[in-house]
Amino acid sequence: MNRTSALSLWRERLFGTPFTGFVTLALAFGIAWVAVPIIRWALIDATWSGTTRADCAPGGACWVFIRARFGQFMYGLYPVDQRWRVDLAGIAFVLGIAAVVFAPQRLKLRLGVFMLVLLPPLGIWLLSGGFGLAYVETREWGGLMLTLFISIYASLIAIPLGILFALGRQSQLRVIRLISVVFIEFWRGVPIIAVIFLASLLLPLILPGGIGIDRLARAVIGLGFVIAAYMAEAVRGGLQALPKGQREAATALGLNYWKATGLIILPQALRISLPAMTNEFIALIKNTTLVLVVSILDLLGIAQASLADPNWVGMNMEAYAFSGAIYWLICFALSRWSRSLENKRRL
Amino acid sequence: MSSFLSLINDKRVRDWIYQIAVVVFLVALTVFFVRNASENMVKAGIASGFDFLWRTSGIEVPFVLTGYTQADNILALFWVGVANTMLVTVIAIVLATALGFVVGIARLSSHWLLSTIAGAYIEFVRNIPLLFFVLFWYFGVIAALPAPRQSISLFGVAFLNNRGVTIPLPDGIENFRVAGLVILACALVFWAFSLWARRRRERTGQQAPTLVVGLALLVAVPLLMLAWATLATRWDVPVLRGFNYRGGFAVIPEFVALLAALVTYTAGFIAEIVRGGIQSVSHGQTEAGSALGLRSGQILRLVTIPQALRVMIPPMTSQYLNVLKNSSFGAAIAYPDVVSLFMGSALNNTGQAIEIIAMTLAVYLVIGLAVSAFMNWYNARIALVTR
Repeated sequence: MNRTSALSLWRERLFGTPFTGFVTLALAFGIAWVAVPIIRWALIDATWSGTTRADCAPGGACWVFIRARFGQFMYGLYPVDQRWRVDLAGIAFVLGIAAVVFAPQRLKLRLGVFMLVLLPPLGIWLLSGGFGLAYVETREWGGLMLTLFISIYASLIAIPLGILFALGRQSQLRVIRLISVVFIEFWRGVPIIAVIFLASLLLPLILPGGIGIDRLARAVIGLGFVIAAYMAEAVRGGLQALPKGQREAATALGLNYWKATGLIILPQALRISLPAMTNEFIALIKNTTLVLVVSILDLLGIAQASLADPNWVGMNMEAYAFSGAIYWLICFALSRWSRSLENKRRL
Repeated sequence: MSSFLSLINDKRVRDWIYQIAVVVFLVALTVFFVRNASENMVKAGIASGFDFLWRTSGIEVPFVLTGYTQADNILALFWVGVANTMLVTVIAIVLATALGFVVGIARLSSHWLLSTIAGAYIEFVRNIPLLFFVLFWYFGVIAALPAPRQSISLFGVAFLNNRGVTIPLPDGIENFRVAGLVILACALVFWAFSLWARRRRERTGQQAPTLVVGLALLVAVPLLMLAWATLATRWDVPVLRGFNYRGGFAVIPEFVALLAALVTYTAGFIAEIVRGGIQSVSHGQTEAGSALGLRSGQILRLVTIPQALRVMIPPMTSQYLNVLKNSSFGAAIAYPDVVSLFMGSALNNTGQAIEIIAMTLAVYLVIGLAVSAFMNWYNARIALVTR
């Protein structure tokens, strides 16, 4: 496309008719009215370097605050000299996934199962300590690291449980179907904030006396159960999209229920429901913020808590802008990925 | 032995064995949990049963619709929470639907800039946690508003400041009751009229001016009645006295922040539903409509919207139920909804976790089931009837 045609295309788009032109001008005026003060605040009048609040020019954003608190936003109150363990756990996780993704096709499944068995305990060991590492109590965890920790470990509960209940809902056995429907509809019907309260109050109550259960573990279990119900509905979409003939053919080949499910049904159904499951994972990341109500400080919680610092009064906008931007980047990237998966399937 | 084998090899028998095993397992698990719970509760000295509901609550609530006072019992406190949850949910649903339709239709606009802005809005709100918006509106926006003395005046009758919004309160609702009855009567008359018009059209093919009559009965008369009721009622308009406003009705900042967050967030999701619904009606339908000689307004009203609604209703229902559930996010800023009042304050006072959690969850489950049942009925009624 050459320059003139691009220009005329844009002129046609924005000023094709008098009415279009009027709408364009009105909108442009509106954007300028909203965006100019924001850009001035965030970029032009902002202070980028310095160490204390006094270094910041009034009227602009004080990014010095973010710089001073960056460690906390990422790791919470995790001891500074131990933070390499969090980094190591993150690297191990990324490498583990990369190894599975790039492995040759015939090794993928075995490697995936191996990583699934190896990585979660390794992560917990690295983060909480023991066996040669200094103990770090979960009370000291926080920030982005905790957001990711809760999201990943809650989905480790939610995905298997969700698949199980999705299969249960499609089952021929009436009692199993009823139990699955009740489980799914119950957890989908109650607010997640109430579930987090419930988990933190009831879990210690229903376990045998003397078994203490970590407060972070309670929140993860609670979230895992709710998200399992939503995951189950996502998986059900995939199961229902499969033609009935698939199971019938598998049965005709002599496979029993679990073999047919594991070898024929699930590999296809999960591929179909992967975008929907990704969307549930995005929702999980967003809902992780609710652990704030039981005083666990994830990224948003740390941002909120940092507002109480007497040395940094009035940093509300900076803290919200920074934490909001991180959430947005993570969720936006994931939702784009999920959409591209969906489009790939449709073609 | 062989009869035992044939029994084991019978699929029906095996299926029953599996199911009984699962049930036995679940029952055993439940018994285990209940026994632990009762032991732990005895150890901690926590009472059980629902007697606590009739105890005096002693909890002060800043935002009450039911006439509750501290001296009332805990059951009354529960209803205060339910009423507050319902209030914010209903208003948020109405406003979010309106905003969502505007954004969704803007997204489909042929105007490039307009649809880009709508798309940016949708991508912005959908990828940020709702709790972020709640905290942002509460600590970021409302806390930054001026103090009552420098309030932002909305047409001189309502005042926005960092203590919330003070709105005028009618002295009596008599006129509004009359207006409501007239509007209801108009709706009934219109319903009868459209029924008669359809019968006549099916019999004789003659069109009745349904649109004009509808506009008159459903828009003009209600607007006039509401205008009359507003003007005929004496209003208690808030006035600045000292450091705060006297008179009127003070809406607490928590309500304003929660409502703003719910509306802006949910509108992004509703916009996508609206867009999907309208796009799902194939272009051929519009063309067929114009081939039949319908005008563009008629095509929209008779062809596009009924079919788009059919696609939109199930996801809309789940969005509305999400608003109900998400109204509990108010607990994070101490908006006195059922979770924060009952699961928070009342539970702290009485310690009866199991009863209180069960009652709170029941609120959401009962409303959710009722709404789903109604929507399933409505959906079945408007579903495509195929041969």
